[in-house]
Amino acid sequence: MTALVWLCKRETLRVSKLWTQTVLAPVISSILFILVFGLSLGGRIRQVSDVDYEVFIVPGLITMGMVQAAYANNASSIFQARFDRYIHDVLSAPMRPWQMTLGYTVGGIFRALAIGVSLLLLSLLLVDVPIERPFALIPAVALGLVLFGALGVVVGIYAEMWDHTTFIANIVILPLAFVGGVFYSIDVLPAPWHELSHFNPIFYLVQGVRFGFLGQSDVSIWLSLGVTAALALPVYAWSQWLFTTGRRLKA
Amino acid sequence: MFRDAPALRLRGLTKRYDDGTVALQDFELEIPSGAFFGLLGPNGAGKTTLISAVCNLIRITSGDIRVFGEPHDSVTARAWVGLAEQDINLDRFLDVRETLVYHGGYFGMRSDEAERRADEMIEVFGLQAKRSTRAPRLSGGQRRRLLLARALMHRPRLVILDEPTAGVDFELRQELWRYIRALHAEGTTILLTTHYLEEAEELCEEIALIRDGRLIARDSAEGLRDHFGVGRLADVYVKAMAL
Repeated sequence: MTALVWLCKRETLRVSKLWTQTVLAPVISSILFILVFGLSLGGRIRQVSDVDYEVFIVPGLITMGMVQAAYANNASSIFQARFDRYIHDVLSAPMRPWQMTLGYTVGGIFRALAIGVSLLLLSLLLVDVPIERPFALIPAVALGLVLFGALGVVVGIYAEMWDHTTFIANIVILPLAFVGGVFYSIDVLPAPWHELSHFNPIFYLVQGVRFGFLGQSDVSIWLSLGVTAALALPVYAWSQWLFTTGRRLKA
Repeated sequence: MFRDAPALRLRGLTKRYDDGTVALQDFELEIPSGAFFGLLGPNGAGKTTLISAVCNLIRITSGDIRVFGEPHDSVTARAWVGLAEQDINLDRFLDVRETLVYHGGYFGMRSDEAERRADEMIEVFGLQAKRSTRAPRLSGGQRRRLLLARALMHRPRLVILDEPTAGVDFELRQELWRYIRALHAEGTTILLTTHYLEEAEELCEEIALIRDGRLIARDSAEGLRDHFGVGRLADVYVKAMAL
């Protein structure tokens, strides 16, 4: 167990040492979203589902910032370790594969939580965001971070070059987040966009977190948690399988 | 158990890479506990593949590897092996002391124990002035020393050194030889690969010559010279590789 603790410490130390890049930059960009979309557009779109627009967008923006960070952190950390081959220090160590998987996942979760908590505190200075259902918020955030943290580990292991890790972030995660109901309720969308939104995994995560904060969402909290869990578990199992078999990690 | 068992025992070890290259073919090797063992061979002979297999850095195709009698992929065996690779592979985010402390942690050392040992290694390897410097800012010689210090950090019983003196100047090579000799004198088993024949002759009690993934000959430097009927290890090498 000592080895796992040290690997977790190493992954969180990396986040702390690079805090201006890993935490400050995403917090600033998310806060700018709140300022630009919430406070300026909020004057035109007064309320969504009986909630002030600047309050409505905060849970989605926090979710977006956190999942991007969880993914990007783990993908870059493990890719760098493979690229420079210092991952050998871990692969040769007396650690079990589950400890390696968990250790590498923890860094992204730590970074995402640092961003999420910072964003929440800063948001409270700007708008009055409630936390109506904390017991729904906690599993929604946990499942989302496991899903995107593990996805980062998987992509970091498969990536052949830096472009591969950023490709998934820019071409898959970011667009899905933008159309995942961060800035609007899908009830206002016409067909077929309303129906298509239900095929977007980030939509369910945003709804779960929004329910935790505001006590309301476009779909049931159980459906949100169920879909996120149904995705998180196989992706985490995939990352575990890679460490257990050594595929892509060992020639 | 490890007192009686050989430090390393390879049985029928075969490694075929995904592109079809066979780096090791039914390789058999036994290195006694406490030995200073050299592995010589040209580039591509299979030396690094062998080391990577022992250290769980590649997936073996078939065969059995035992470290002091334990399966090489067991947690116990892993803790007994220390590896200094040929290429510098230091964590770019950690400074010298952190590199050592975190390595100790990965290998099961408690925090206070790892910190104490790291300070000891920093002193032994003359890295005091660089203890807070990150790896990318170290000179080539300092990185090489740190690599060796990291391999020894968790007090392994079997130390594997893959061309530890490749590309280092004469002074540092002499210095590294002193460290390695002192380590062996303490009872540590050492497996050394090198391209420098004089290094193998100077340090190793026994030498194995490998080519194309197969063991060609194995004996002391003197025994090899007698066997091949030549006066220098370099001539042994040339003859063996031409077989």
